[in-house]
Formats: sequence, structure tokens, C-alpha cells
Amino acid sequence: MNVPFKQIWALLAQHIAPQRKRFALLTLLLLGNIGLQVINPQIVRAFIDASSSQAVETLAAAALAFIGIALFQQVIGTAATYVGENVAWTATNALRAELARHCLSLDMAFHDAHAPGEMIERIDGDVAQLATFFSQLVIRVLGNVLLMAGIVIALWLQDWRLGVAFAIFAATLLFVLNRMRDIAVPYQKVRRQAEADLFGFLEERLTGTEDIRSNGAVDYVLRRLVQLQVAIMKSDYRASTMDTLISVAANAVLAAGNVAAVVAGYMLYRSGSVTLGTVYLVIHYLNLLAQPIHELAHHVESFQTIGASAERLIELRRIERTVQDGPGAALSGSAISGGPLSLALDGVSFAYAEHESVLHDLSLHLRPGKVLGLLGRTGSGKTTLARLILRLYDPTAGQIALNGVEARQPALKTLRQRVALVTQDVQLFRGTLRDNLTLFDRSIPDERIRAAIEELELADWYQSLPNGLDTLLEASGQGLSAGEAQLVAFARVFLRNPGLVILDEASSRLDPATEQRIERAVDHLLRDRTAIIIAHRLGTVQRADEIMILDGGRVAEYGESEQLAADPASRFYGLLQTGLEEVLV
Amino acid sequence: MTKALPAWRVILDMVRFRFWLWLLDLAAVLVTRLLEQIAPGLIVRAFFDLITGEAQAGLNLWTIIALLVAIEAGRILANFGFVVADVPLSAHVTTLLRKNLLKHILQRPNAFVLPESPGEAISRFRTDVREIWLFSIWINDVTTGLLVIVIAVITMLRINALITLLALLPLVAVGLISSAATSRIEKYRRASRTAEGAVTGFIGEIFGAAQAVKVAAAEDGVLAQFDRLNDERRKASLLDRVFSEILESLYRNTANLSTGVILLLAGQAMQRGTFTVGDFALFVYYLGNISDMTTFFGMLAARYRQLGVSVERMARLMEGAPPGALVEFSPIYMDGRWPDVVYPAKTQADCLGRLDVTDLTCKYPGAEAGVVGVELHLERGSFTVITGRIGSGKTTLLRALLGLLPRERGEIRWNGVPVDDTATFFVPPRCAYTPQVPVLYSESIQDNILMGLPDDPARLAQAIHLAVMDQDLAEIDHGLDAMLGAKGVRISGGQRQRTAAARMFVRQPELLVFDDLSSALDVETERTLWERVLERRDVTCLAVSHRRPVLRRADQIIVLKDGQVEGCGTLDRLLVESAEMRRLWEKDLEAE
Repeated sequence: MNVPFKQIWALLAQHIAPQRKRFALLTLLLLGNIGLQVINPQIVRAFIDASSSQAVETLAAAALAFIGIALFQQVIGTAATYVGENVAWTATNALRAELARHCLSLDMAFHDAHAPGEMIERIDGDVAQLATFFSQLVIRVLGNVLLMAGIVIALWLQDWRLGVAFAIFAATLLFVLNRMRDIAVPYQKVRRQAEADLFGFLEERLTGTEDIRSNGAVDYVLRRLVQLQVAIMKSDYRASTMDTLISVAANAVLAAGNVAAVVAGYMLYRSGSVTLGTVYLVIHYLNLLAQPIHELAHHVESFQTIGASAERLIELRRIERTVQDGPGAALSGSAISGGPLSLALDGVSFAYAEHESVLHDLSLHLRPGKVLGLLGRTGSGKTTLARLILRLYDPTAGQIALNGVEARQPALKTLRQRVALVTQDVQLFRGTLRDNLTLFDRSIPDERIRAAIEELELADWYQSLPNGLDTLLEASGQGLSAGEAQLVAFARVFLRNPGLVILDEASSRLDPATEQRIERAVDHLLRDRTAIIIAHRLGTVQRADEIMILDGGRVAEYGESEQLAADPASRFYGLLQTGLEEVLV
Repeated sequence: MTKALPAWRVILDMVRFRFWLWLLDLAAVLVTRLLEQIAPGLIVRAFFDLITGEAQAGLNLWTIIALLVAIEAGRILANFGFVVADVPLSAHVTTLLRKNLLKHILQRPNAFVLPESPGEAISRFRTDVREIWLFSIWINDVTTGLLVIVIAVITMLRINALITLLALLPLVAVGLISSAATSRIEKYRRASRTAEGAVTGFIGEIFGAAQAVKVAAAEDGVLAQFDRLNDERRKASLLDRVFSEILESLYRNTANLSTGVILLLAGQAMQRGTFTVGDFALFVYYLGNISDMTTFFGMLAARYRQLGVSVERMARLMEGAPPGALVEFSPIYMDGRWPDVVYPAKTQADCLGRLDVTDLTCKYPGAEAGVVGVELHLERGSFTVITGRIGSGKTTLLRALLGLLPRERGEIRWNGVPVDDTATFFVPPRCAYTPQVPVLYSESIQDNILMGLPDDPARLAQAIHLAVMDQDLAEIDHGLDAMLGAKGVRISGGQRQRTAAARMFVRQPELLVFDDLSSALDVETERTLWERVLERRDVTCLAVSHRRPVLRRADQIIVLKDGQVEGCGTLDRLLVESAEMRRLWEKDLEAE
């Protein structure tokens, strides 16, 4: 087994360590369970040997003892399962939390490259594999190995030759199993890959059914399906044959053991060396071995898949973020408690990974409480600018400063509490309205939430909700219209009282009533705050004190909105004439 | 809503599909069970009787050894019998089911078929299909198990009826307890699954909203919620698991309990000699095996219900199909000798003279706009362009015409003959369609283009030339043989669009339908493509575009606004008569 066993264990060990007591209890219970399993046949042996001589009452007592032990074993076994599962769940949940925290802290580049579905596979799927590892290793493998050891010891105490014989027998069995399993693994891998190919094929075709039909290729695709299934069948023949060989080998060795036990039992009993009860005991123990052997043969192959999961998780943990947390400078003395921030950009440039620059040499200065209207076509860099201010990315050149403090100085948390971003598509969570507004921060009291809703003039919308703050929302946004979702986004930001708001306006057309509500909410939101509005509506632009037009990542125009609007030579003037929608294209 | 076939019908049909293989599986199971669960008991009794001198005449150590060896040989044979039966059986049954599912999905219009995302549909193809196969052989397990129980009980009864009956009591008691508990088990199982769904759903949400979480500095709150959900899942899973474990260990221990009962009762009988050690060994062996079996019957009802759920899930994928379509028999050619894919040759009726569309209406809830009362006529050899603002219904019009969306009203005539089922009509050789975002598959570029067409190098080269892909293919490593997809080469959006176009061209359809090419192609390339395509005057094209060079080349333009035809005619006429056309014309700021 060339799987990095140590690494798998290392992943889990740090989360099992805090549960030392439970783990000790588990060990105790397992040993107890095994002990009882080994002891009970001894009672039967005593019974058999005594059956011809002892009084019926003694035999009855032995029988009751047997039943008592069987029941006790039941209790211990269940307790062992409970404790074992609890340890596994607690440890893997802690690992899930650790991974989630780590991944959340990674750069946006990571999140753009890895779909949420993949994160589910890692944080839940792969971690679940580790839980399997734990229950497999500890409970199955260790448990079964201990059982076999227990049997050998019990027999040894009886007669050292029996002990030795069994030990050799068990060792042979394990060795044979191990060798065969190593041989079988590649075939199992091929079979798994063949199945993955089939489902990959299906997923692609199900995404593109139109393309298949409108090109008349249905028969072709069906033929491919069968070809892939045939490939699976062929690999299945080989893998199944190998699996069968493993079982056959194990069973053959067991059968040989039975023959040996039969012959030895016959001869030893006839010669008077062992009692009848002992012969029974030996045969019973031999067949008791069958269960752990069977489990070890069939249920432990998944170490390979677990190893693969562990590798992926270890790699995931190794990924580092480039946007580092700031040393924790305060965002200026007076503004720490509230109040609008000033924003200054100085020669800021930025490029995503190996692509060409998205922003070139941008400079601006926005005084506290002023509103900047940001215009430009899609791809001109407006959204990128917003992301840079929030330190989702760091600029490749130049500086960003808030209230004179360079953006990299404050802690990320501080920065993002004072700067807020409202985007077009509002991301909702499955939960109550309260949870969505506070983003699960349970320290925010309901009165504050309601106060924020009132201030934004959303009270009548709030009254219309069936359960108030407890109204359940779905992640996909069912339960809220697009307009209502925007209002929720505003309320979220309002609750946190930022000093700078970046608003990326919704460009979809909403009904007039909602549009009005949103307009008023924006009014409230921007009062006494600095703002940058990525504009899509004419009305917004009228709100702006300053205007900046971006073109291909460069500043095409920047100045006071009144001045620009009055100057027929300015681009802004031209835009106002033709209507703002042109800027969208 | 299609009514699903009853689950037992599905199983019956699958058994009939490959009856001999299923029978072989049954034989293998029977032999295995008899050799594993009945024979050893008898042999162990014979052995003990032998060594205590109570054996029947003719039985000696060698006989016993011979029997043990024979049993093992038989088991090995049966084990390989399983491979010979089950591997092809599972392959054939799952292939037929998947083929029927896929065939139906591919042949119906796209927009309304898949109840969930492709990813969820996959779980039906994978797990639900397997469930059917597994159940069909599980029946064999159950029936042979029942037989074994009967044989074992009869054997024991003949030895000592009283002890048998009393020893079976714990088993019956446990069986009753567990069937009373099944609904409780299911409840805990469901709760555990729900908690799991809440956790995975939340992970998806957190990372789907990663930007929002970071931007709002909400990591702590969100992760605290994650911890809460994880803990609930832990508790639900523990409850589920422990409860199952209690039941399972009850089963395991019934053998012990029964043994205890036997010990209690057998004392006297053994002293009197009416119950030998051999008999005792046999009883213990059989009781051990029977208690395993009782789990089966408890599971039967639950498993059958589960099967019903699987069948229903698959039926939902086959909306609109007759109920028997899931299990329809057809040759699947698992020996690899699939007949050649047949592409219908073009007949006289397939040649396009005129296409007339009247009153085409298609509205449905969704992001795109609908179209109302659209009228459209085109003649052979013409180039028609549909244009309009974002959301005016251009794509909807194309898709409704081609049957990719169901139409509410409207008549479509091909050469004067009305077309009823547009979905099956508008395919090659009559018509081919390139959507705005085409899907290419993880195959070679050549396979993506041909998709089963015979490899005719001249035809292929021409299609590639028309699609303006010749230069690109020369620059891509391995050219036509380059593999696309996650593990292959990456090609640009424009190259994907043109590959899809080549896919359409190689089929030489009468009517070429293009959804908007301009989002993926730059002006130059698009112009070249239209030049080459329209050079050949024997093709009829219908396209969506807003680009000036394309509009200039059109024989007729159809202007859509808010889902209705606002104007129709040549460019010059429309620029004079239609305000919307003028507006669109001015808006196209792309320089020529």
C-alpha cells in the first residue's frame, strides 16, 4: 500500500487530539467487545465438556451466563459504534470548518477557477472519505486484527501448539489477501476510470442536447454510449475476476484450515489429548475468523480512493493567498467610529494573471461625502476598480488610500467593514431574512435590523412579508423578486454603516414602484457617505458630484459633473445627448 | 405528467430481457447458499458424530475430508459463475435503460425536459439505473434465502422439534421488533439526509457567494453558521447510525441468544442422549445463518419502495414518453458490432423552395422574451437576418421555429406543406442550427465536427474553409486531432463558434440557421465567414445579427421589437420606414 498513510492520519490527527478522552473510551469499548466475543465460546466449551457429568442446574447457569454475556456484548458494541462515530464526525466537522475558513480566505482568482460544486466535493466529499478511513481503519481493520489476536491468545493459553498453529494460519491468510489485493488494485482503477468516462460523457451530452439534435447526431451519440458501456463491461470482467480470485484464495485457505482442524481434532480426540469441547472450540474459532477475513478482503480496498482524497485536501491546504491581511492600522483616528471616508488612487494599474492589463495608470481623488459616477463600456475596468478598492485583488502598480491610509495597512476585516460593495446580482443564502440581512452575525439585535429597514423607507415592504424577519428565503432567490433582492442588499450594507459605498447598479428593468423604492433607498444609503456609483441610469448620473469615464482601462475623462455636462466638447456631454444606454454595449 | 410503470413491471421486463443470464445468476446463488449455509452444518454434525462414535455406517474421516473439498470446489465454480452471469447482465440491463433514457431526452425539445440540472440527471443515470439492476438480482438472494431457511428449519425440526421452536423464538421476536422499527429507521435516515443536504447546500452557497462574503467581512458569521449546520448533521447522523447499529447487532446477537436458549434446553436432552454434540453444532451453525437472513425480509418492503422512487425519478426524465419507453427492448450490440450510423440522404422533398411562417407565438416564463404573431417568409437561396434589441425575442423566434421551444400558435409551411412536429422536422439534411453558445464535447475537433458522419476529407475541408477555421487549425497542435475539453487544448470562444459552424456546414443542410455570431467573433472574421458562405448561392441562410456588414448583405431583414415584428424588408427600405431600424443602425458603434 503505497498510499501516504502518514499524511492521511496527519490530516485527521490534529482534530482527533482534542478528543483524547473519547478516543480512550473507544479503545476500551472495542477491546471489551472483542474480549467478550472471544470469551463466550469458552463457555460453550465448558458446557459441552460438562454436559455428560454435571447437574442440569450447573448447565443452566452456564447457559444464562452465556446469554448475559451476549446481551452485554450487544450494549458494548453499540456504545463503541456511538463513540467511534462521534469521534469521526467531530473530527471531520472540525476539518471541514478549517478547510472552509482557509478556502474563503483565498484570493478571488481561486474562487473564479473553482466552481462551488468542486468545493462541495472537496470540503464534504473528500472529508467524508477521511471519516470512512477512520471508521474503516480503527473499527474494521484494527478491530478485526485484534479479534484475530484475541483468538490466538485464547488458544495459546489453552495449548501453545494451538496458538502457534493459528497464528501461522492467520498470518498466511493476511499475507495472501494483501498480495492479491495489490494485484487487483490496477484493475479496479481501470474499471472506475471507465465508469467516470461514461458519466463524464453523459454530463456533457446532457448539457448540449440541442446541439446533438439540431445536427441529427442522436444515433451517433447513442452508439458512443454503448461503446462506453462495452468498455466498462470489459474492465468489469477483469476486475471482477480478480476480486473473485481474492475471495477464492481466502476461502480456499480457510477451507484448508478447516480440513486441518478436522484431521487434527479427530486424531487428538481419539488419542485423548483434547476434550470434545476443545475440538468444538477450535472449529468455532476457525469459523469466527471467516468474518474478519471477509471484511478485510472486501471492504478495505477503498484505501486507494481515500488516499486520493487526502492528497487533494493536502494540496488544497497548501494553496496560499496573495492578498495578505494588513498589519492592523486603524483607518484614521476620527473616522474609526463612522463618517465618510476619502478615497485616493495614485497611478493604479492592474492585470489579471497572465492577461493584458485591465487598468492603466488610474488616478483619482474623492473627497469625503462626495459621489463619483463611474461610466464605461463592459470590459472597461469599472468592476475591477471596485474589486481593487476592496482588496479582492491588489494592484500591480500604484497605491490606493482611504483617509490617507494606504489600503494594505488596515486589517482586511476593518477595511471591508468600512467599505461596502453592492452588486447587481445579490447573493442570498438559504435561511431567514434576518440571517440574510446580518449574514449570520447573531450579535446584531433585531431592533437594529428593523431600524435600518425603517431608515431605508422599506417599512411597508417589510410589513408585507409573512413572517417578518423569520421569513424563509431560498438560495436561488425564490421568494424575492429581483427588486426586493436589491433592497435586501441595501439593507445589509446599511446595517454595517460603512464610510464608502461602491454601488454597481442593476441594469435590468424593474417595475416603476420598485424603481422608486430603490431610488429612495439609495438616497438614504448615500447620505453622509462617500460613494462610487457604477452607473447605468440617467438618474444616477444626476446624483454624481464627479464623473469618470473609463475606456479600455484608462481614464478617458474625469472631472466635476456640472462642468463636464456644460461643456459640449466633453464625452460626458455627448453621452447625455444620445442616452446613457449606449454606454452599456 | 407521465405515469410511471409499476416497479415490478420494470423488474420483470429486465429479467425477461436477458433471461438466461438471470437464470445463471439464480443458479449460482442457489449453489452458493446451499454449499455455504446448508452443507457445512450437515458436515460438522457428521464430524462430531463420527468422533463421538455415533456416526452412521460408511462415514469416515476420508469421507468428510472429501466432502469438504467438494464443497470448496463447488463454491469456486459458483463464484466464477457469478462473474459469467453478473458482469454481462449488469452491463446489458444498465445499457438498455440508459440508452432508452438518453434516446428520449435527445429526441425531445430541450427547454422543458430536464427537471433539474445535468448534474442531477446524472445521478438518475447512475444510481437509479443501478438500483433496478441490483434489485433484479437481489430477488434471487431473497428467494434462495427463503429456501435455505425452510430447509434448515425442517432439518432442525426433524432432530428436535421443541428445541427448534424455542430457539427460533428470539429470531421471530427480533424480526417483529425490526419491522416495527422500519418507519423509525426511515425517519432518521431522511433526517440525516436532509441535514447532509443542508451542509452541502450551504457550502455551495458560501463559495457561490465568496465575493459577497469577503466583501462584507462576514467570514466569521458564515463559518459560525457552518459549524451549526455541521453539528446538526453530526447529531442526525449519530441518531441514524446508532439506531441502525442497535438493530443490526440485535440480528447478529440473535444467533447468540438462540444458542443460549439451546444451551438452556439442551442440557437434559444431551444427558439423555437425544441431542448430540453434533446436533448442537448443526443448530448453532444454522441459527447463525438464519438470523442473517431475517434482515432480508425486513428490508424487502423498504427496498421495494426505494425501487419505486428510482423508477419514478427515471420516468420524470422521460416526460412525454409512453410509460413502456423506459424498458423498451431493442438491440444494444454489446458485442461491439454496431451497425453504421445512418444519415438520411437528401430527397426531393427535403429541398427547400419556400419557408412560410405565420402567426408564430411562443411565450414562456423565463429570462428570454417571448414572440407574438411573427410572420416570416423566405425563399431558396436567400439570406434573411433577424435583428432587434436585447430581449426583443430574436433567439426565441429561432428556437420556436425549429421546435426547440414549444409554440403556442402559428403555422409553419415547408414548400407549402404544413409542418406539425417541427422538432423532428428541422434537422439535417433539411436544416441545421448553430446556437449562440454552442456546446462542444471532450473529443477531437474532427469528431466534434463530423459527429458520426463518414469521413469525407473533401467535404470536411470545405466545411472548415467555410467556417474560416483553416488558419486556426493549422496553428493548433495536432490540428483536427486535437482533443477538446478539460484535459485537452483550450480554444477561444470564436474558435468554438466556428467549429460549431463547421459542424453545421459539413452536413450540407438546405437551410442554415445561425444564432448571433457576433458575440464570439470579431468583425473581420465574421465578415469573411459570411462572404464565403453567401458566395455559394444554393444555400439558404437565416441568421440573427446586429452588425452592419451582415445587415448590408441581407436579402431581407426582420426587425423585432418586444417580441413582435416591427418591420420587414430590405435594409434601405427599413432605414426609411422603421424608426427602430434606424435606431439599431446608429447604435452599432463598431466601425466597419
